[in-house]
Amino acid sequence: MKVITFILSLVVSFTAFANDINPAKDLLLKMANAVHNRNFDASFVVVKGKTMEPYRWIHAKQGDTELEHLSLLNGAGLEMVRVNNQVTYFEPQSEPYSLKTDSIAGPIPEVLFKDIERLSAHYDFVMGGKGRIAGRAAQLVRIESKDEFKYNYWIWLDMESSLLLKAAYVNHEGEALEQLQLTHVSVTEQPASMLLEVLNRNFPTPLPESDLGGAENTAKNWSINWLPDGFELLKSDRHKLDLNNELTDYYLFSDGFVEISIFIQRPLPGKRLSGALTSGATTVYVHNGGNFDVSVVGNVPSMTAKAIAESVTRAL
Amino acid sequence: MTKAHLNKLDNEVLSALLDGEQHLTDAKIAEQDVTTFGRYALIGDAMRAQKNNNDIHIDISDRVALALESEPVYADFNQPNTEPQAVTETVKNNVVAFNWRKPVAQLAIAASVAMFAIVGVNTLPQSNNQQQSEIPLLQTTPLTGMASPVSYSSEPALENAEQGLRELQQQRIGALVLEHQRQARVANSLQTAQNSIKAQEEKN
Repeated sequence: MKVITFILSLVVSFTAFANDINPAKDLLLKMANAVHNRNFDASFVVVKGKTMEPYRWIHAKQGDTELEHLSLLNGAGLEMVRVNNQVTYFEPQSEPYSLKTDSIAGPIPEVLFKDIERLSAHYDFVMGGKGRIAGRAAQLVRIESKDEFKYNYWIWLDMESSLLLKAAYVNHEGEALEQLQLTHVSVTEQPASMLLEVLNRNFPTPLPESDLGGAENTAKNWSINWLPDGFELLKSDRHKLDLNNELTDYYLFSDGFVEISIFIQRPLPGKRLSGALTSGATTVYVHNGGNFDVSVVGNVPSMTAKAIAESVTRAL
Repeated sequence: MTKAHLNKLDNEVLSALLDGEQHLTDAKIAEQDVTTFGRYALIGDAMRAQKNNNDIHIDISDRVALALESEPVYADFNQPNTEPQAVTETVKNNVVAFNWRKPVAQLAIAASVAMFAIVGVNTLPQSNNQQQSEIPLLQTTPLTGMASPVSYSSEPALENAEQGLRELQQQRIGALVLEHQRQARVANSLQTAQNSIKAQEEKN
């Protein structure tokens, strides 16, 4: 698999070779590299409107082994632990489970820790200004959507260590909707001993990939007639929601940067209004489709979510 | 003088003392039996409370502390790394919860629901784009206090029904957001898998 992705990246980089080397892209790749290879202990907060979520983020690299731990510090908490290519999620209320993946799906878009080249088709990478963030000299890199259907993402990188210092979802009016800011980071030579302890633990066996859901199952039940360019169907199925046990037809789309979920459910009783609800960059758009309710969730502008929801029709 | 009479006289002094009708000196306090003193203080409190509608302060902390001592321990923050506990857990289900996680698990249910409930934001970017501002906003009540945008309807019955529906909707939205977060976790592995399949197809 690694060989394949390597070949793939070669192919992609070859096609992109015609362009000059983009300094912004270069910085982002350096950041991904730093995040994977440094030993650091950081704290950050995610600010969504009036709410704030504090996290602690520890990473260690010992020999060939990579260890990462991300935890939400408020409320009941959420712990995510990565050992090389296995991520385990500890959540309140449910059994911990593991996935075979090489990055933690936390508040930072995963693709930033990987090959961002695959975003080139739908996003531009632009150098921004310099500034001081978390007490360090920082360089701004902007990932800008080529159309108005997605948000832009701005990232401030430490000019010395290339680590991420701040990031924000920014709308097309230039307003930051959701901000992530490091409050403290220490980069050390030696990995944190607390993290090394993780190596002695047993984690659940990762779910087999076939369990993650193929793209065929229920794909033909509904037709989703509009999506912004670049979004591909990753999975579709019918399952029950955890919190309220409601049955839903489910579709997951991604453009490599943001994910969009589409839920089609039995309508709720009473007068149902269509409308949007946002929390930080996350939009929930609920659309009354007559005999069914369509809900779209994702880090996209509410206009986009609305357009997607309204495009859903019953397949013939 | 009988003994009983003597007691009664003593208590009169105590009563006066507590009611502030007599000056307080160490000698007078020392004369008093502690339990009697406490009882008289309580009587005084009760009578004054009736008059002023005040609270009576009954100190039951001792008894609570005593009861707590025999209570089973749910979360012990003082315990150092509890190795034996971790070991038994591996036997049980091969899953090890982190030690520093354990105390937290008790908070689980309520907090996790609150975490995924969307907290009081129902704004759309109010830009000059006319079409954008036409999207109606959903009214949900934030769980964590704050000013809640409750209906302005003046009819209570209608308001109650509306609130019930709104709760149902809010519950659903909370469930959807949680589900989206969970599903997004597998997105990257799915995408990598899809890309490699595509790459393979292209090669053939």
